[in-house]
Amino acid sequence: MFEVLEFEFFRNALVAGALASVACGVIGTYVVVRRMVSVSGGISHAAFGGIGLGYFLGIDPLIGATGFTVATALGMGTLQLRARQQMDTLIGAVWAAGMALGILFVYLTPGFAPDLFSYLFGNILLVPRDDILLMAILIVIIVAVVAYLYREFQAITFDPDYATVMNLPVERLSLLLLVLIALTVVMLIQVVGIILVIALLTLPAAISRLFTTRIWSMMLLAVALGIVFSVTGIWLSYLLNVPSGATIILVSTLAYAGALGVERLRQGD
Amino acid sequence: MSAPVIEVDDVWVRLHGQTVLEGVSLAVYPDEFYAIIGPNGGGKTTLLRVILGLLAPCRGEVRILGTTEAEMRRFLGYVPQFRTFDFEYPITVREMVLSGRLGHITRRPRRYDAEDRARTEEALETMRIADLADRQIRDLSGGEQQRVIIARALVGDPKVLLLDEPTVYVDAPTEAQFYGILDRLRERMAIVLVTHDIGVIPEHVTRVACLNRRLYTHDTNEITPDMLEDAYHCPVDLIAHGVPHRVFSEHSKEE
Repeated sequence: MFEVLEFEFFRNALVAGALASVACGVIGTYVVVRRMVSVSGGISHAAFGGIGLGYFLGIDPLIGATGFTVATALGMGTLQLRARQQMDTLIGAVWAAGMALGILFVYLTPGFAPDLFSYLFGNILLVPRDDILLMAILIVIIVAVVAYLYREFQAITFDPDYATVMNLPVERLSLLLLVLIALTVVMLIQVVGIILVIALLTLPAAISRLFTTRIWSMMLLAVALGIVFSVTGIWLSYLLNVPSGATIILVSTLAYAGALGVERLRQGD
Repeated sequence: MSAPVIEVDDVWVRLHGQTVLEGVSLAVYPDEFYAIIGPNGGGKTTLLRVILGLLAPCRGEVRILGTTEAEMRRFLGYVPQFRTFDFEYPITVREMVLSGRLGHITRRPRRYDAEDRARTEEALETMRIADLADRQIRDLSGGEQQRVIIARALVGDPKVLLLDEPTVYVDAPTEAQFYGILDRLRERMAIVLVTHDIGVIPEHVTRVACLNRRLYTHDTNEITPDMLEDAYHCPVDLIAHGVPHRVFSEHSKEE
């Protein structure tokens, strides 16, 4: 079963899965502790609008998705901070409107959109070498920003009011965190697709939360779990000849269920 | 008397079309223990949020140590009424208290130094929670959590400690202990205590005001029946509400 490692596409897939797991573990940790799961869902579905826009303008759909998700994240963040809108309604609107825009753009684009499906459901086996380099650069940026602003991000995700009293730039930091989430989401689209992004972003961190006591240890364990899940998922999908993105998500979900069970038993003692 | 640490000058706040604060002015001096009482919904938390810069008044201004600059907020210690944070957050007691130093750190990236750590240990000792330092905040009891929140407010060396309904989550013995701690802290900072429960006003309060949209104050440490009547808009029977004797004018000097 190891002969498949000789293929470059398979090695690329494993590397892409591992890289995506690093971003997921680090950013997903903030998503879980700050309870931003639905915000992230809204951002990732809005990305579909950007992919449609990319097709429509004839540019790389991922570039369209990057611009669109970052803009959506900043817009939602500003509305939340300024207008104090009901956040769940706002997320629902952005979520659906992003998808709707995407559908319209694809419809308006002449010809057929060949890999639309792989953006929705991911296709890690098709990740080209250039994209892996791009992912690596993005991860270096994300990790560097988080390392530099570790204390600030801890303060604003833990208690934004108190962070304001301590005169931290809470608004700018919150928007920066949303941008990092948007970039992570775009990176994950290639691996598991728009629809499944939210699971890979949150499940490793949610499991890690059960067994760790600090932000940095939660991140480290989440990264390790993400790598295990994506490698296992890719391998299983190869052995069983089923779609890889969906397999990665199901492996993660099973692990989450298992972890909740273990936690239950531990507390029962 | 020295200059006031907090000056609230003719502050008006309107929220959702309703006037919550109407021309509120007050001054807190360095050695004061200022109690603000008033009914629920009377604007007490709103007033604190305005002082802390979490809410901008539509008229009037707040000066801390004589200026309106936002960075002066680092001289305020805040103990919020509602849990403004998530107790499931993965953070230890020591880390949470340390985070109260962030306002004082000027180097970038912000990292804690030996002084920050020493102050943290001091605050943990003051609140008698040094033995809990490595525990997760979610594993603490309500009273222990309250002490961590106060320790976080103390670690920044505040000139004023602002407490919003600090005893609603704790039982009676803890409450007594808590007021003991406040008495010790008084030597180092001014204290502003906000509560709806007129029975809890501790004996060492130097000034009392009633807040119900407007602030009613007599510049003494006594609650007078007409103050309460103004604030609560109905005659309030002090004895029936369990107010200890010391708050009456006639008896206030006895203790």
